[in-house]
Amino acid sequence: MTTEMILVGLAGVLAAAAPVIFAVIGETISERAGVINLSMNGTILLSAMASFGVAVTTDNLLLGFLMGMFVGALVALVIAFGNITLRQSQVAIGFVLALICRDLSDFLGNPFVGQPGPRLPFAPIAGLADIPVIGTLFFRQDLMTYASYLFIILAWVFVYKTRPGLMLQGIGEKPAAAFVRGANVNRMRYFYTILGGAIIGLAGPTFSLSVKAGWKGTLSGLDGIGWIALAITIFGGWNPLRAAFGAYLFAFLQWLGLVLQPSLPGVPSQVLQVAPFPLMILTLLLVNIGNAEWVGRTLAALPEPTRRFIARGLRAMRASPPAALGVPFESE
Amino acid sequence: MRTRMSALFDALLPVIATLAALAVGAVMLLILGVSPVTAYAALFDGAFGSFNAFAETLVKATPLLLVALGICISFRGDVINIGGEGQMIVGALLATWVGLTFTEVPGWLIVVFAMLAGFLGGAVWGGIPGLLKAYFNVNEILSTVMMNAIAVQLMNFLLRGPMIDPSQAQLASKIPQTARLLDEFHLARLAPTRLHAGALIAVGLAFVVYILLWRTTLGYRIRAVGQNPHASRYAGIKTARYMALALILSGAFAGLAGAVQVYGVNYRMITDGSASGFTGAAGFNGIVAALFGQLHPILSIPASILFGALLVGANSMQRAIQIPSALITALNGLVVVFVVSSEIWRRRRQRRRLAVAKEEETPGRPTPPEVQKEAAR
Repeated sequence: MTTEMILVGLAGVLAAAAPVIFAVIGETISERAGVINLSMNGTILLSAMASFGVAVTTDNLLLGFLMGMFVGALVALVIAFGNITLRQSQVAIGFVLALICRDLSDFLGNPFVGQPGPRLPFAPIAGLADIPVIGTLFFRQDLMTYASYLFIILAWVFVYKTRPGLMLQGIGEKPAAAFVRGANVNRMRYFYTILGGAIIGLAGPTFSLSVKAGWKGTLSGLDGIGWIALAITIFGGWNPLRAAFGAYLFAFLQWLGLVLQPSLPGVPSQVLQVAPFPLMILTLLLVNIGNAEWVGRTLAALPEPTRRFIARGLRAMRASPPAALGVPFESE
Repeated sequence: MRTRMSALFDALLPVIATLAALAVGAVMLLILGVSPVTAYAALFDGAFGSFNAFAETLVKATPLLLVALGICISFRGDVINIGGEGQMIVGALLATWVGLTFTEVPGWLIVVFAMLAGFLGGAVWGGIPGLLKAYFNVNEILSTVMMNAIAVQLMNFLLRGPMIDPSQAQLASKIPQTARLLDEFHLARLAPTRLHAGALIAVGLAFVVYILLWRTTLGYRIRAVGQNPHASRYAGIKTARYMALALILSGAFAGLAGAVQVYGVNYRMITDGSASGFTGAAGFNGIVAALFGQLHPILSIPASILFGALLVGANSMQRAIQIPSALITALNGLVVVFVVSSEIWRRRRQRRRLAVAKEEETPGRPTPPEVQKEAAR
């Protein structure tokens, strides 16, 4: 395998991660505001189907992407209404929506299965694309991949470096305090849930109009990606940069599985297909292990240098959710 | 009087929700240019129209009930088990392995061991997320969903490789299925239909689960941890242990559902590459049946029969009027949405009624913040 092939492969990893990036950033924003969007798996499928359908019928890619965002926002609106206005369990609403959106995408998408459709063209950036190594890696992609880079940076700057971002953190951590500071908590939660949903909705068309162009029903390999994105959001500790790292790591591992398969004839193909799932369970375990009481007790018994070393490692991996995640807010 | 009326209303709510879902389905049928009356007549006829049809409904209801029993346990313990599909598959794989390996043993003994193997397989598959949840605080919704994906690939690997039917292994087609179980290992048929003894096992276990949850210390502790983990902890209950147990038991019942499916209906395992190819989505639909039965094992019996009827009836509706099968899944999804949301609505009404009662008890005193937090949740 030549260096050039590896570079092209890695560039493919960056492109393949783009939809997952949109999904985890949208989810991160929604959860930062205190609302879990558990419907993600269904939302991605439905937005992929709807945007492909629109793009095929109108032959207009932009309309397709707008449709994806609209579907994502609509599902998020249902979740926000159910949770914020009706004060229902986010988990129940989200899970049911995940199932029904999946079924709907199968049902409504029937006429589009296997149809040829438009695909987002590659758009190498003149000048930048010719830089050795970096050019091949980053700047010979399509527009959505560039957009995914931009979203990571924008989301990070917004959450940590701006006043509205600080308020966003506030309504997820201590809504009562944010309320006292003059924030309309529930209106802002509506806004950020729908905004997050629209960004999640971009993941669908990025699949069906770019990374895995076309629509093949729920067996297209998209089914399940939303659950993985949810795990990556937790792995990312609700930080856009760390979440993006998780998404790239996931795409990289998948690519590695494909590349290694021919050179490992003894390993059945199912092992590599299934590898991301136990890995995700393992990452969830690592992220949470520092929070377990008994781990702290066990560590206390170890000799001091070892204890400090392990404790530092655990702290680096640990992530705690926004304190008010999943809890409706009532101002009284 | 008023309380009795609203109790009646609560009990009927799932039925109302189902009717509402069917009404929305009728609109979709009208859009497709099919008369909803003809369609629903075909649905009812397919589910209850003849002795054979009703037996078929009960066959479909059996795995739903077994999964639902497990869901009653885990949801009462406030542990959400979305992994029924995977637990069914692993239970079925282990049970099939028992039946294919020990061919010299008398039939009734194999059936007993196979059911135990199914129970054990599901318990292990539910136990992993259960222990992770209890001792590492790993979100069980995510981990059970991932365990489903792992179980599917495990099944695909075993049925294509080590467990493949020896006669298929020699053919070019290589259909991914196991050999057929010996005739004496099959669960007994109850009538000249496909109805098998598994249905009786499931109904019997419904009563066992009822006793477990409300007449034993184990069940009391699982429910106590589910209602209020902090209070349970101060009362000396080892909360982590009972959280894990709730998911282990829940998985075990789903695993048993898988074993019953193999020994009562299919007599072999075969895969189309997806989970629902084997389970018929019983792992998910069982959750709905349990919610429909208000997380009560005995009420889950009629709830499972109703969903079994919907599944069987939908099939014959599809045959009768040639509508795309995807509409059927969408219709099932609608019922799920309506039932689950009505269940949530019912609980909310109940809490509000409790809150009102509390306020009446202590007039003039503001509700303490803990109660407000509980009510909001």
